[in-house]
Amino acid sequence: MTGEQPAATPPGEPPGTPPTAEVSPPGERARIVVRDDLERSRPTVFFRLILVIPHLLVLGIFSLLAFTLAFINWFAILFTRKAVAHDMQSRYLRYATHVFAYLNLGANPYPGFEGAPGSYPIDAEIPPSEPQNRWKTGFRFVLVVPALLLGGALGVSGGSSSYGNYYSVGAISAAAFLGWFAILAKRRMPRGLRDLVAYCLRYGVQFWAYALLVTDRYPDSDPLATKYGEPVPDHPIRISEDDDLRRSRLTVFFRLLLALPHIIWLSLWGIAVLFTVLANWFVTLFAGRPADALHRFNGAYLRYLTHVSAYLYIVANPFPGFVGRPGSYPIDLQIAPRERQNRWKTGFRIILGIPALLLAGAIGGALGLVALFGWFVGLFTAKMPPGLRNLGVFGLRYQAQVYGYLFLLTDRYPFSGPSLEQLPAPPAQVPEPA
Amino acid sequence: MIASPAVRRALLALGSATVIAAWIYAFLQLWQTSVPSDLSLPSLDPTRYFSQEDLDRASSYQAFLRIDYLLALVAELAALGLFAVKGPAFVRESAAGRIGTGMMLGMLGLAFVWLSQFPFGLAELWWERKHDVATQSYVTWIINDFLAAGGEFLFISLALLIVMALTGLMRRAWWIVAAPALVAVALAFALVQPYLLPDQHALRDQRIAADANRLAAAEGIPGTPVKVQDTRSLGGSPNALAAGLGPTQRVVLWDTLIRRFSPPEVRVVLAHEFAHLARHHLWKLFAWMALLGVPIAFLVALATRRRGGLYEPAAVPLAIFVVAALLLVTLPLQNAFSRRLEAEADWVALQTTRDPAAMTDLFRRLGRLSKAQPDPPGWDEVTFGDHPSIIKRIEMAQAWKESNPGR
Repeated sequence: MTGEQPAATPPGEPPGTPPTAEVSPPGERARIVVRDDLERSRPTVFFRLILVIPHLLVLGIFSLLAFTLAFINWFAILFTRKAVAHDMQSRYLRYATHVFAYLNLGANPYPGFEGAPGSYPIDAEIPPSEPQNRWKTGFRFVLVVPALLLGGALGVSGGSSSYGNYYSVGAISAAAFLGWFAILAKRRMPRGLRDLVAYCLRYGVQFWAYALLVTDRYPDSDPLATKYGEPVPDHPIRISEDDDLRRSRLTVFFRLLLALPHIIWLSLWGIAVLFTVLANWFVTLFAGRPADALHRFNGAYLRYLTHVSAYLYIVANPFPGFVGRPGSYPIDLQIAPRERQNRWKTGFRIILGIPALLLAGAIGGALGLVALFGWFVGLFTAKMPPGLRNLGVFGLRYQAQVYGYLFLLTDRYPFSGPSLEQLPAPPAQVPEPA
Repeated sequence: MIASPAVRRALLALGSATVIAAWIYAFLQLWQTSVPSDLSLPSLDPTRYFSQEDLDRASSYQAFLRIDYLLALVAELAALGLFAVKGPAFVRESAAGRIGTGMMLGMLGLAFVWLSQFPFGLAELWWERKHDVATQSYVTWIINDFLAAGGEFLFISLALLIVMALTGLMRRAWWIVAAPALVAVALAFALVQPYLLPDQHALRDQRIAADANRLAAAEGIPGTPVKVQDTRSLGGSPNALAAGLGPTQRVVLWDTLIRRFSPPEVRVVLAHEFAHLARHHLWKLFAWMALLGVPIAFLVALATRRRGGLYEPAAVPLAIFVVAALLLVTLPLQNAFSRRLEAEADWVALQTTRDPAAMTDLFRRLGRLSKAQPDPPGWDEVTFGDHPSIIKRIEMAQAWKESNPGR
């Protein structure tokens, strides 16, 4: 946790005093305030892509201006350390956040065209103008590349030319796509998808604030640094993190090769798991709950998969054990004991799992970048940035919940929002006797 | 009945003497080849087969490689020595159990070796490219080298899994079973190896295919498959190999060999590789590994005793260093054994093809292409030569010719 969360207005409460830039202490990054109540209007959601067109046109024109200002600011900062037209750029970033929150179903009301602060349920707070570092400004076009890649995986860094291309295929698009169907069915945006959209928007606004020279603070990928609203309900599959961020340079450099025995063992164990999952499917379908032995066997495999993935993606440092023993690894999976499961959900589990798999694929792109950036940073600094590590933990948890759902460890649907990690840590499991 | 200490000592001495005698007997059996023991090789002057310019070029070319190789050896031992001292600290980088931690340390040992060898490998490639012996790009080489390290990581993981599991079962006596167990794993790998070689296809040249069938039948292994491997990515040198065991055995010719050598020369190569299969050289090699492995395992057990033996993962770095040092010390013996097998394959090829001129041409061309020194310094051949020198191979062809007048 970075401790930079704003005090969010409770859901449902109308926006009061606009959260102005003066509230932000100097040197802060841009941030997102979520006041959305998850309620959605079916007609506006159904026609959302059409309704947003006027905003996209305005945003396109606004983007041209913003990029021109950024170009001027590059020289201005190099000479004076200060950017010009900060208010204009802030308004642009805020407006773009409103539009893309609307487009990606992160909020319900039609946004205004002014980008006024506090005027929208998902709002951006832009820090005040500050003197910026000349070196960071001079080499901004190079420094921005990793953030651009991660933003691409999240679907918020868009194309190369303008903020108007903000929308691209990534986690936010996958969340919006799935949210569209969910809202048409239930009139509500699922909490997990909304939180994921909010997280992506937060990264997007920080990325563009950095790329357009509004601030020289690098975008923070930490999904825990945003307050998403009320605590979410707990889930039978949780992840716990006890990592000290230290990384061994030698093992980081050879991480892929060191993981090879684990990858082979995972594949062999995975063959057995195919059969045990199938057997458990029949047991759950007929008995209404999974077989205890199969539940434990498949659970151990999933825990082991999480340990190995954490190691491979540099989300954790130590070499994992080969049996998926609970409590044996800094990034550990807590799996609740077996419980009764709905037979309909069991019968159609594979079909029901498809949306979650789709989203897992999108989040997996970000996880791959966590590994890539973690590899370079770990190699040079022997440390993992907490933001990247937390994004990795979130990705691994979601992946584990998706597999847990498909392996019949629970019939609770995977929770796609990063807000689950903000709940108090699950109680540590006592390791089974070796 | 409890034997007295003196009787136990006597029994132990007798047992040890029997084991040593059996070891020596097995060693002598493996040492035998079908090359006539009274075969006397003529002493040939390399200038009869190579121009002075070629000889000078090969000498200067090999001198660099020799220095590079010696430095790489020193670096490897230094890296492993350092790892033997510092390696146990890496135990804290593991959340795995005893065996898992041992496997990780084993892989890290190889990581040290890889890092220590990298500059020398790169220097070797630079030298080979400079002399047109290799065509591989630096990037391809680095990627291939890194991926090849992956194979080594897997092998050492499996080896340590077996050895450390044995230490759990047998504690101090693990070394008795370890070498045969590891050889069994190597045998399993040899069995599937032909299927792991990439880019293989059947022989398209019908004339060579017919020759291959005839030669295989003549050597008593009719129907042995011959495949061609596309090796453009491997650097373009010509080569061939005999791979597999029993039902999986086959001869693999590199496409560069077929393209660059004449049909009689390819016939000699085929006969040579068939000879390896017909004379069960791979089996002999594994028996040799088992034979050498037992004393090495014993010495490793002895050396690591102060660190708790190989039961303790912290002993793995020292064990790797000891194994590397012992393999280096026994390198001349290993190479002598390898040279004997190669010489036997040459001899069988001569007996089968009855074409010493083709063999002479083959080695002349091979020497020129690879810029090998036909007659390297004695110490170099004894220490590092796993094949007979080119001039010795030509001498064997001449010796065969002299003992078979009219050819």
